[in-house]
Order: sequence, then structure tokens, then C-alpha cells
Amino acid sequence: MSQPATDYTIDELICVCIARQIEDGELVVQGIATPLVLAGYMLARLTHAPHIAFASAIGQTFCRDWGPLSIAHVEALWLGKALGRFDFAQAVCELLPTYQPKEFFRPAQMDARGNTGNIVFGDYHKPRLRLPGCGGIADVTVYEEHVCFYVPRHSRVTFVEQVDLVSGLGVGAGPPEHPAPGPTYLISDLGQFDFAPGRMHLTSVHPGVTVERIQAKTGFRLEIAPDLQETPPPTAEEVRLLREVIDPLGIRDLERLSGARRRAKLHEIIEREQDARTVNIKRQ
Amino acid sequence: MDKTQLLDKQTTLTAAAQLVRPGDTLALGGMTLYRRPVAFVRELIRRGTGDLTLLAFTAGYESDLLVGAGLVRQVRTCYFGLEIFGLAPMYSQRAERGEIEIVEETEASIAFGLRATLAGVGFMPGQGWIGTDLLRIRPDVKLVADPYSGRRYVAFPAIKPDVAVIHAPLASRVGDAVLHGNLAVDCQLAMAADTVIITAERVVEKLDEPLDIIGLAVDAVVEVPHGAAPTSCWPDYPLDGAEILRYVEACASGEFDAYLDDFLTSVGPRARPTMFAVKNHEPTGNRLHN
Repeated sequence: MSQPATDYTIDELICVCIARQIEDGELVVQGIATPLVLAGYMLARLTHAPHIAFASAIGQTFCRDWGPLSIAHVEALWLGKALGRFDFAQAVCELLPTYQPKEFFRPAQMDARGNTGNIVFGDYHKPRLRLPGCGGIADVTVYEEHVCFYVPRHSRVTFVEQVDLVSGLGVGAGPPEHPAPGPTYLISDLGQFDFAPGRMHLTSVHPGVTVERIQAKTGFRLEIAPDLQETPPPTAEEVRLLREVIDPLGIRDLERLSGARRRAKLHEIIEREQDARTVNIKRQ
Repeated sequence: MDKTQLLDKQTTLTAAAQLVRPGDTLALGGMTLYRRPVAFVRELIRRGTGDLTLLAFTAGYESDLLVGAGLVRQVRTCYFGLEIFGLAPMYSQRAERGEIEIVEETEASIAFGLRATLAGVGFMPGQGWIGTDLLRIRPDVKLVADPYSGRRYVAFPAIKPDVAVIHAPLASRVGDAVLHGNLAVDCQLAMAADTVIITAERVVEKLDEPLDIIGLAVDAVVEVPHGAAPTSCWPDYPLDGAEILRYVEACASGEFDAYLDDFLTSVGPRARPTMFAVKNHEPTGNRLHN
């Protein structure tokens, strides 16, 4: 057993917590622009879950192999190492309802019961902020029993009393004869949660974080587990895998950045990726 | 008459772009920042064909340029954004100002909607949406009762594009095309649309690998090397992240118009070091259809 890491970032802790949610042999799905999730899946694949299968929105393939995170070359993994391929109509109409794979979504807004919004902040017809859209969250949360969430920046912007426009169903939402299962797990940069009592329920706090701080950054009353734990830190080996093997370019850092800071980091990553590629081509 | 001539659909970008008329529902193939028909969009913006309904499973860089150029009246997609590069800046701006009509879609409404058209029925039932606010913002979408169990489903209405434009790594003169994955709903779009245009890295006499799109559905084939750049065209070239970032930064400093001018006057891909080995191939050369 590897020693606990003494030096790790919050992004790395999120990746490790996502990896711990993965069971060996299951099918996991990656959505659009979710590098923290992919890094977590790859970590699971390289540690306790060597038999998982990946399906990705980008590429629409099944994969059992792994590859390092990339900006320009994501298709080298999803298409270059694919075992089988499908298209998005098959994915939506056949594969997702049938296999109900595990997927981590990133809600823009969420209420206590796990109802989410990824379309707008504010009024639909005159929004404060227009978001990209909900993809398939409005489709799968109706029936899917393995929905997980991750929130890289825990704040009252995301965790709200009432979602402006609901585009994903929380626990028990929907028609009474077919209530939605709701999410089962949520990881943020402050703690881990489940929805066992039907509402967001704090089960562990990350090292150095207080319950008061989490409650202050949440726009509704949190349920607190009576046996509240501290999130176990990553092991030294997990951090090494993330930094040296899975994501040497640091793409996982992008999700917690926004605006000019994200663009600056993107510049750095794109340049490093080009340089690394040039070196590889010369070696060949 | 020579039958092969009749079946030869190869033409120029200029001629193909004339197949799109103002007011059309224009479907763009590809996925987020991958295999998008960017060269075709450039031609369409040069022509100024407007009042369009833009239909895309996911909409990215190419769609944001069309919206920014003011040619799109209505948008139908389940995701309009630039992935890890952030929001699609012009789309977000127009949507926040209420300057663009949005028909909110999800993965299921597009997938089932296209399947309904292909099956020749008016709708396809699906799980999804019930209990969300989607039904409120799409009052045109109705519920249907399962005649066997009585359970209610959403009746996703049939979707039929006027024109679909799909970029392919490889196509033949008759319009058969190979896409090499990341298919999104391109095969369904090619079957559902009235008019189908294929732009391709290479156009050959005859394919020697399994096709994704059958030429039967295709009206025009145009050879456009680098026709998806700066989006990717696997396995020929990867995503040009530096160019997407240049676009995002131009928009962030209010310089969309300058970027667009530059985009329209650039003939092909801008000169930058390639990170990949470009396949060495002989272009067949563009030929006018008539």
C-alpha cells in the first residue's frame, strides 16, 4: 500500500475520489469537456479497475485501453484505440437506456434534491448567462440509476435553493408513477456527498475544510452524516500516476480556472503539447 | 450518355454553396471541434446566405462563426460551445441579448427526431424530459400514451433538414464517403436531408474501404484539403487548439469582426507548424459539375 501523499492539489484529490467510485469491470461514460473525470477513470483503470470499459461522447466508441489526456489529440485515444464504434443516435436511443452506464455530470446549478440546470442562469428568454445546453442530461436523469456529479468550484452560484430552469431530474422528481432515481454521489472541491436521505448529504470533508465553510458556500440547508469522515488523501502513487503518466500536461487543472486564467493555462498546455509532439516525431 | 458522368457529383465549393438557400434548415455534420465543415461555412459567409435555421447535434467553432456573421435566425442543438475552450462567445452574446431564436434540443430530441424522419413517421417516443422544464420551453412538443401500458412518453417530433453538409476524410465522385468515426448523427443527417453536400479531404474514383454515407443520398462532392481546419479531421490532422484559442481571445476583446475578415480572406489553413504527418496524396482536382 502506497503512502499518503503529502503534496497534492485539489484537482488531484477530485480525480482520486472519482477513481474510487469506479468498480472494476463496469462501463463508464465521459461527457464533453470533463478532463477531471477522464483523469479519474484513467487512474481507476491503472490501479484497482483494470477491466473497465470506456465510452466517450467524443468519438462514440468503446475502449478498454487507456491513454494520456490531450487537447489536440483526444481522437488518438477514442478513435485510434477503439474496440468498437457506434453513432450518437445509437448511443442515445439504444446504448444509454439499455446499459445505464456510470457517468459524471457537471451541473451549472443544482438544488438540494439534485435537480440541475445547464441551459441558462436567469430567465430562459432573457438569460443572465446562456450556457452551452444540457446535452443529454434531461434525457438520462429520467431513468438513469448511476448518475454522479462533480463540482470543481463549490459555491452558492452552483448550489441554489431553486434552479432557474430544470434540465436534469433530482431524487423523486418527475411523474409520481415513475419518479427519477436522482444522483447517487457528488464530489466538490470541499467534500463528498450522497443523496441517501433524498437531499444532498455531506459524508466526508476534505482535509482542512470545515462543515461551516461548506454550509456557507451552499445555498440551501445541508444534511450532515452522523458519522462524518475526513476524505482520505491521495496516495503518493496516485499523485505520481496523475502527474507523470495520465496527465503530464496538466489538463485537469483547466476545469477550476475560468476567463483569462484558463486561456493563459490553455496557451501553456497547447505549446507544451506541440513541443512534446515534435520531440516524438523526431524520435520516430 | 455516359453513366459515370451522370453519377459524377464532384463540383466546386462555390457551386455547392449555391445549393443552400436563404431560410433553409442547414444541418452541419461533425462533433463539437472535430470534422466540422469549416471551409464550407467560409464559403457560405462569403455568399451571405442568411435567415438560416442552424441544426447541429453539437455546435462549435463553425456554428459560432455563422451566428457571429448574422446569418442564423434560429438555432437547434443540444450543446453549443467550444469544449474546454469555453462558451461559444457569439452564440452566448446573441442569446443573452435575445437576438437569436433558440429551439432547445437535447441528445434524445435530435436522435429520435431524425429517426422519426427516417422511419417515415411523425414522431418517436422516448424516455426523457418529463418532469424537467424542457416541455415548458418547447410547448410544441407533446406527450403520447403507450397504447399497451398506458405510460406517458415524450413524442419527439420528426426533424428534417433542407441541406446537410458533412466533411469527410475520404469520398468518391459518386458521393460515397468514409468518416472514420466520431460520427455524431452524420449518417442520419445524410439520409434525412433533402440535399446533401460532402466536402472531403480527398475525392477518389472508387473507395476501397467500408463507407459510412452512401452516395445515393448525396448531391454534391467537393474536394477541400484541410476543409475542417482548425477543427480536426482524424486521422489526417488534429484539432488546432492555438487557432481556437485565437478565436476565443479575439471575441473576448470585442474583435470578432476583425477575426471574421481574416477568416474570410484566408484561403486555406494558416501556416503553422503541423503536429502530425499529413498523408501524402495526389489531389484529383476540382471539376465543375456542368
